[in-house]
Amino acid sequence: MNDVFPLGKEDLLKAYRTMKTIREFEERLHVDFGRGDIPGFVHLYAGEEAAATGIMMHLNDKDRIASTHRGHGHCIAKGVDINAMMGEIYGKSTGACHGKGGSMHIADLSKGMMGANGILGAGSPLACGAALAAQKLGHGGIGMSFTGDGASNQGTFLESLNLAAIWNLPMVFVVENNGYAESTSVDYATAVDSYVDRAAGFGVPGVTVDGTDFFAVHEAAGEVIRRAREGGGPSLLECKMIRFFGHFEGDAQTYRAEGETEDNRSNRDCLKQFRARVTEAGVIDAGALDAIDGEVMAAIDNAVEQAIAAPLPGAADLTTDVYVSY
Amino acid sequence: MRARGPAVSTAKPVVGIIANPVSARDIRRIVAYAGNMQITDRANIVLRLLAGLGAVGIERVLVMPENSGIRQHVVRGLERSGNLGEARFPKVEYLDMAVTTSTGDSVAAARRMREAGVAAIIVLGGDGTHRAVVSACGDIPIAGVSTGTNNAFPRFQEPTTVGMAVGLAVTDPELGEVAFRGNKLLEVEVAGRREIALVDVAVVAERYIGARALWHTRNFQELFVTFAEAEVIGMSVIAGLLDPVDRATPEGRHVRFDNSDDPACRLRAPIAPGVVETIGIESWGALLPDTPCPVGPEQGSIAFDGERELSFSTGDHPTVTLRTDAFRTIDVSACMHYGARKRLLHGERAEHITPATQPEDSA
Repeated sequence: MNDVFPLGKEDLLKAYRTMKTIREFEERLHVDFGRGDIPGFVHLYAGEEAAATGIMMHLNDKDRIASTHRGHGHCIAKGVDINAMMGEIYGKSTGACHGKGGSMHIADLSKGMMGANGILGAGSPLACGAALAAQKLGHGGIGMSFTGDGASNQGTFLESLNLAAIWNLPMVFVVENNGYAESTSVDYATAVDSYVDRAAGFGVPGVTVDGTDFFAVHEAAGEVIRRAREGGGPSLLECKMIRFFGHFEGDAQTYRAEGETEDNRSNRDCLKQFRARVTEAGVIDAGALDAIDGEVMAAIDNAVEQAIAAPLPGAADLTTDVYVSY
Repeated sequence: MRARGPAVSTAKPVVGIIANPVSARDIRRIVAYAGNMQITDRANIVLRLLAGLGAVGIERVLVMPENSGIRQHVVRGLERSGNLGEARFPKVEYLDMAVTTSTGDSVAAARRMREAGVAAIIVLGGDGTHRAVVSACGDIPIAGVSTGTNNAFPRFQEPTTVGMAVGLAVTDPELGEVAFRGNKLLEVEVAGRREIALVDVAVVAERYIGARALWHTRNFQELFVTFAEAEVIGMSVIAGLLDPVDRATPEGRHVRFDNSDDPACRLRAPIAPGVVETIGIESWGALLPDTPCPVGPEQGSIAFDGERELSFSTGDHPTVTLRTDAFRTIDVSACMHYGARKRLLHGERAEHITPATQPEDSA
């Protein structure tokens, strides 16, 4: 932190690299999935990069997060290897879960990534468990759950708010409000669509920020995470954001207004906003960002090539990773 | 100071209500101890305003639409009252406009209400929401109910009473002389862009907007205020504790901060709910009207009424100008006292009744 910018040059470049990696990872999956190269289902995080990146820059490997069905961005920002992620999405034995989980179950406990999750709202109680463990072990870590605006209507989310409040857990609830629960508008499906209001009902303070503004997310996330670490208990961070693609790949998106996505890509792209802010302030020159663009593209190409070349799990792998030995 | 009534047409006056659900959701709930004004509380304020307006004869009200739950609760209340056969509330119409769930909705609604010819607009919110409405309401007088975080501009007043006062102000032509107050504002010009603030313009060193609210006092550079009261919260109280100036006096205040270890003056000021900070002061003085004042720092960000909103760089040369009599507000207390004196709320036979005991008799 200095007087005029919240991060130094190296951290700003790191933030840009993370956001760009998420963007190109998702853009590539959009193409490859459409061609039929990828088994299963994918839900893409493109457009939402500022949230995962701005939040995760405050976390370390002791901090545990529980992600969602739209989890690629959380994984990358939390430090999961993109080669292992791509292998997992391609269903290959080199994948983060040996190719048996796919897009919605990527996990890497060594990085504090407890897993993407195909069950909506299921991550909140899991993250509360991690927060309870951190509290009991006293190692200074926190628990963090991500839910969308739709999953935040689930009982599990609301019960978790209550649990975190009564146990004063070092917990942060991140609500990624992209305006649509699958295809249903948040205006229709949510009675009180201020998640800060909801949290207040459980005695949990909250803050709403523009989730397309990396600096807004980073500043607010820093405060809620610090609060959790300092014993201030749980809080909620609502990020209002944009998803560039459909709920899932193949979604015809008939629920969107005409031109909505084009407008979002033109005017509310978090990567463009970040680039403009740091270059206009003279903190980073555009050439340094362009160089990162090239390196990220090469890294994604490499991850896909590795995934394609890797073997599928064999028959013998059917019974591994099923039970835990004590 | 302008103190005239609205251009009342022969048609019955219509009142507008802007209750934007996005106010009071910022980071001061985390870094300070700011409260929450819940959706149902806001909806009940709207119903109380409507009841007050209806009680003094307002028959039609235009309301800004939103999708966060206020409308549902209000409509429920109106329908229940209708089912009971009451005549408690005026007819309510929601503006036909796109909802973006942002401050922009307040601006758009104010513009449409002005175009629709409302006689007054009642605003629920803090300094930021009032600022948004004033930016677009033109000559239409406003009345405020405080629901935001740092409320130097609107005071908390019982909404039922606010509704009654506004109703009286726009229906009684004789009330014009006492009902309306002229207000100061600050105009900021920066790189061809014009912005306004109702209470304060703060210049800070940060070159990013971030979470918008102000709380890093080490980065405070300069402060301009339209009025400065000593008993409020936020940035303007800094000037209020140094050299107060009221809402009517045609001058503001200009404060320069000193973040060195040895400032000329140290001041303790409540800059956010529950946050009293010690701030270094370099100097302060009067800000005279219609005289552009250049901002000192060459780079930084500008906060309007407590929220960082734009950054500026070398060569942008922002200026701040105090304007007097720039927009009108309705003086709720003056309206209600006038109503009492004139017995506007008494029944038909009230004029035949005199107090049982005259003050001089009881002496």
